[in-house]
Amino acid sequence: MDLFLQLLANGLVIGTFYALSALGLTLVFGLMRVVNFAHGELYVVGGLLGWALTDLVGLNFFLTLAVVIFCLAVSGYLIDRLLIARVRGQGEEPTILLTIGLSIFLTNTAQLVVGTTPEKVVSPFASKPLFLGSVVITQSRLVLVAISAALIVAVHLLIQRTTLGRSMRATFQDSMAAQLSGIRTAHVYGFTFALGAALAGAAGMLLGSIYVAQANIGNVVSLKAFVVVILGGMGSFAGAIVGGLILGISEAFWGGYMSSGYVDAIGFGLVIAMLLVRPYGLFGKHVERA
Amino acid sequence: MIFERNCLLGILAAALLAPLLFQNQYALHIGVLIMFSVMLATSFNLIVGYVGEFPLGHTAFLGVGAYTAALFSTRLAMPFEFATLVAPLVAALFGFVIGAITLRLRGPFFVIVTLCFAEVLRLIANNWIDLTNGPMGISGIRKPAWAIAGDALHQKLGYYYVGLLLAALSLFVSYRFVYSNIGRAAIAVRENRFVAQSIGISPFYLGLVTFVLAAAIAGLAGGFYANYVSFVGPEVFGFSFMVSMIIMVLAGGKGTLVGPVVGAVLVVLLEEYLRDFKELRFSIFGLIVMAVVLFLPRGIMGFIGRRHETRAQGATTHA
Repeated sequence: MDLFLQLLANGLVIGTFYALSALGLTLVFGLMRVVNFAHGELYVVGGLLGWALTDLVGLNFFLTLAVVIFCLAVSGYLIDRLLIARVRGQGEEPTILLTIGLSIFLTNTAQLVVGTTPEKVVSPFASKPLFLGSVVITQSRLVLVAISAALIVAVHLLIQRTTLGRSMRATFQDSMAAQLSGIRTAHVYGFTFALGAALAGAAGMLLGSIYVAQANIGNVVSLKAFVVVILGGMGSFAGAIVGGLILGISEAFWGGYMSSGYVDAIGFGLVIAMLLVRPYGLFGKHVERA
Repeated sequence: MIFERNCLLGILAAALLAPLLFQNQYALHIGVLIMFSVMLATSFNLIVGYVGEFPLGHTAFLGVGAYTAALFSTRLAMPFEFATLVAPLVAALFGFVIGAITLRLRGPFFVIVTLCFAEVLRLIANNWIDLTNGPMGISGIRKPAWAIAGDALHQKLGYYYVGLLLAALSLFVSYRFVYSNIGRAAIAVRENRFVAQSIGISPFYLGLVTFVLAAAIAGLAGGFYANYVSFVGPEVFGFSFMVSMIIMVLAGGKGTLVGPVVGAVLVVLLEEYLRDFKELRFSIFGLIVMAVVLFLPRGIMGFIGRRHETRAQGATTHA
């Protein structure tokens, strides 16, 4: 029973982290329908930037977080306006290729600059363990779960309650109609991608303080993020959280009770199984038009 | 159609004569890699160019073919000819199962689920140590008699011509397939799925047939590769092969048979040329991919084909 509770707690924590790392992709892939294979690389860039500023420069953790978010938002906006805008409306294939090209470029340039050694973001939170009954959890993880939850709620409110959020939803439903009612859709696309990139970078830095920031993990992060988004259903925020939690908990239990070798295959197995049963995700809506 | 056939025959003639000009091991090694890449690109192009879906996990079939050839050769001591025959059959079987599952999905879902299959296979190759020897891979694959006899130059020459034979065979089968009724129906589905359905074409069935054929060709390429390098590891399922395949087909021009051949030749030569830039070469490669998507969206053959068409049209209007 103790083992069960501990595994459940681990799964919930890791699941929240998965949800956090997939949050940017939920916007970009789920809402905007850009199959962004550079998501993991943006995460890596955020992590490495966070490491460089906290460890090498010695900047404050929260100041660094702000800098990371700002830098990635600006680069995200530029990526959208300079690259992705040029192939918009040509189906998903050119976008996939463009983002794959971008991810190859970012990974290898990052490796060239900082090498492949795993680095750690300096964190102000103690990693001393807390005992909740029979369950052990470190303080820094608990704080990060809280920050993740706050970020998820903030993005949800941004999309549901603000003017920018409303124009985003309008643009992705019908960009022509949105344009006719005076929304500058080009900016909306740019801002959404900027927000997605900023969230990816923030996730990279936050998780880089617990795990590691490393130049060549981008592919794995991208794949897991896609798994989370698809498990939850496209563009649904509740879905992304549930998808993350399902992935985290099933990985924790599989690793705890079965073999640890195939842990990484769980997510892919889940996605394959779920798309067979419910092709539009747990919370997605099914629309097909001629 | 005739233009395409003549192009392919011209390339075949050039490939047959090329070893007379390049009598050194390094050039022949590149030649063998080109033949392998031509098979891969042709296989990938069948799905991207003629079904119109984007299988990002196409390395699954390459890997299955390579592992099949390796296992049959090391465990059952089968000769090269037989192992290379079994590899495409097993890959086609995998193609049938995976295709039957994934072709129900479309767009981004198809892209990601095929990728999931390739990842699962890679993890199995990494973890099922009894069968695949895990990350250490399988080495000591038996080479056929003609590849051991003679000096290194002759061995390479042998692989070059066997590769050329297999690549020509793949292209011949693809050519007959694309210009058959099934191939035309597939193009109809690619151009407009709903119109095609309304005249009685079943997109799922067509997709599956093409998928199985493409898987078999990728498996053949995998079997040939396994025997040539005499080693197979889990990285045959990896993303780097996938990236080369994508670039070859897109740079060459998808939906044409000549395009992927041209793309394969260019990409292999470019990769060799970029070796001089050491670590920087992958970054440059990424930039080239982005440039191709932005500035040459229909690939080199798409560009040439369009000029050819307009000139042909111009000639008829003048006459």
